[in-house]
Amino acid sequence: MIVVHYLNQFFAGLGGEEAAGLAPARIGGAVGPGRGLEAAGLPIDVTLTCGDDFFGEHEAEALALLLSWLGEIEPDVLVCGPSFGSGRYGYACGSLAREAGRRGIPVVGAMTPDNPGVLAAEGAAYIVPTGPSVASMRTALPTIAGLAHRLGGGEPVGNPAEDGYLPRGLRKNVRVSEVGADRAIAALLAKLSGDVRTEVGPAFDRVSPPPAIGDLGSCTLALVTEAGCVPQGNPDHLPTRHSNIWLRYPLRGVGSLSPARYESVHAGFDTRTANLDPNRLVPLDAVRTLEREGQIGRLHAFFYTTAGVDTPMAVAAKFGQEIAAELIPAGVQAVILTGT
Amino acid sequence: MSVTGASHKYVRVVRLLTMRRDGGCEPLELASFDVAEVVEGSAGSWSEGSLTLCLRDLTEAAKEGLPALQDLDVRVVRPGDPVRIAHVLDAIIPDVKASAPEITFPGVLGRLALAGRGRTNRLTGIGVLSVCDWAAAGLASPQAFPDAFVDMAGPGRPMTAWGDRPELVVTCTPKPGVPVADVDRSIRMAALRVARDAARATINRPPSAIDSFDLAECVDAELPALAVILQVASEGPLLDTFLYGGPVGGIVPTILDHREVLDGALTSGAYDWAAVRNVTACYQQSALIRSLVAGHGESLRFAGIILALGYLDTPFDKQRSAMLSARLARKLGADGVICTTFSSGNSHTDTMLTVQACEALDIGTVAIVAETNGGLTDHVPEADSIISTGNHDELVDPWMPGEVIGTSDNAMAGEPVPLWAYLGACAQTGGLALTAVPA
Repeated sequence: MIVVHYLNQFFAGLGGEEAAGLAPARIGGAVGPGRGLEAAGLPIDVTLTCGDDFFGEHEAEALALLLSWLGEIEPDVLVCGPSFGSGRYGYACGSLAREAGRRGIPVVGAMTPDNPGVLAAEGAAYIVPTGPSVASMRTALPTIAGLAHRLGGGEPVGNPAEDGYLPRGLRKNVRVSEVGADRAIAALLAKLSGDVRTEVGPAFDRVSPPPAIGDLGSCTLALVTEAGCVPQGNPDHLPTRHSNIWLRYPLRGVGSLSPARYESVHAGFDTRTANLDPNRLVPLDAVRTLEREGQIGRLHAFFYTTAGVDTPMAVAAKFGQEIAAELIPAGVQAVILTGT
Repeated sequence: MSVTGASHKYVRVVRLLTMRRDGGCEPLELASFDVAEVVEGSAGSWSEGSLTLCLRDLTEAAKEGLPALQDLDVRVVRPGDPVRIAHVLDAIIPDVKASAPEITFPGVLGRLALAGRGRTNRLTGIGVLSVCDWAAAGLASPQAFPDAFVDMAGPGRPMTAWGDRPELVVTCTPKPGVPVADVDRSIRMAALRVARDAARATINRPPSAIDSFDLAECVDAELPALAVILQVASEGPLLDTFLYGGPVGGIVPTILDHREVLDGALTSGAYDWAAVRNVTACYQQSALIRSLVAGHGESLRFAGIILALGYLDTPFDKQRSAMLSARLARKLGADGVICTTFSSGNSHTDTMLTVQACEALDIGTVAIVAETNGGLTDHVPEADSIISTGNHDELVDPWMPGEVIGTSDNAMAGEPVPLWAYLGACAQTGGLALTAVPA
């Protein structure tokens, strides 16, 4: 089994803050916490390291180099950290874990559950929860070594509670002894006697509305939709269901969305009526009127579109964040989000 | 699925009670005829688990008087055959009304008559699968209907309820130029004919088991009364559910007798997402009905079935239907209801609103829903008890079938297949043992 271990400059013994700008480096064998992993039964073949600041400031470059080394070494498992409560180190661990995980390398990380690295890993790694400081090293290392050993050996891993990792936001199918009907009847009888059970709970954000906009007359407004509204012929191939992309189309000089030039390719509703007047999907005609009348300041120069059909919540949230990341620097203060 | 010796006796007593109540009206007797092997021969017969079928006769009878079909083929596939069946529309359990075959699947195939009474002979351990490639026939865009597979071997075989038994595959080719609704009506009729005619061989034969589903009247009134809100959808041709042959689109929630559900009153013509589709067999062999009848008088009182629509178009329609379903549950005296779900996306909102409406009337609820990689599609705080029928986005390992039936394209051969493409894999009527856990 080939094991690679990722550490920041501090845990690799290269220095503290003064060394945080160090570029990625490759070291043979175990260093620092790697020795603890070896003591817990996980021999380390190669240690990779990068300064925390270097990673933060040159993320693409750092990742490319680290991933190229992983490509050469072809490890059976990658261990990142533990990074405890450290935000920069945790982010580097989580980002590397995500990219390695997506390339099929099993990854184990370790950090506090609220470390930004957990989100950065996007469910592509098994992350062992730790305390905020090095004091939790001793308890974390055997769990990390055990998980890494099993993943590297291709052995199955149990559920998060059994095997001591944070839920990755994934839902894995299993067969149980009773069919759904019998489970439902048992759950209902239990609930009626005061014992509420569930096989799944919500994982939704509850988003509170932002404060109201004081003066619409000076506000920049954008139009965003999940209605699958695209130029006729769907030139950029927006998937009609399970969309994994969103698109942006210019509105400069466009007063209304004519059915000759726009259509909906959404696979989740009967689009025939909407396609007679695409303004009913993206209310450009009405907003242009409001703009002329001075009731809103100005319409943003693009509209944003995707097809929201069986879109996983995580994907939808990512679309929202990405679109917002364009709108905010453009001075947009309000969005009309049309859903179907 | 068949009742045990002990509960069989119990059912007999129950039947006497019901006959008295109904003034001699015939109760439903579901006579099962186990099928251990299927043999092709020159005439149909069933004996001791061996079913002989004349495929030529089945084919001729199936397509008679159906000009909307250019071609129709009936063949047998068996567990272990290296076959992937693509573009599967429906799965049907072969049933025939023993004393009046002409009222089998009443309203849609047979003459209109109430289902759920009299003797129905059922072949168990065999299914009928209807198959049509709408896109190849030019009747739908290639993306309109996602893949719908049944694998008879490989890693996908255990994903459906259909790979572990012989299947009669009815492959239909539409006649060009015929409207899609006419083609669909013909395909549904042809497949139901094959189901009925395959079961005909059992008439006057001794069954493997007889189940009855009448409910004892004198049961402990302290037991909790449970009802089912059975959600279906009916949005037009290729997306319809039929009650006695008529599409149910536009109905307000209504009460069904559980015996008529088991006996062919509800049939499917809805071909969206395969994994979360209620095929006709979901109604014929409803696990919920069977278990609620079995528990009636023991741990619960079975209060009834409410048929309700999902995929309603507007918030008003959704809230109204949820409220009317809850009101019927109250009328049935239900202390608790199980809310089933039909298909994915939009309809999960109908389920959640129904849960909310029932809980507002102090009726406890459990919802049955499938999950996606992103978790639940919708959720309300009142939905605190949910049964998951699995994550339909999970990938099933690649498999290279030796033969693909139902399409000329490669049907994802050799590729990982998302579970949503497997027929009934996550059906939200509770017939399978799949669920999802955190990972």
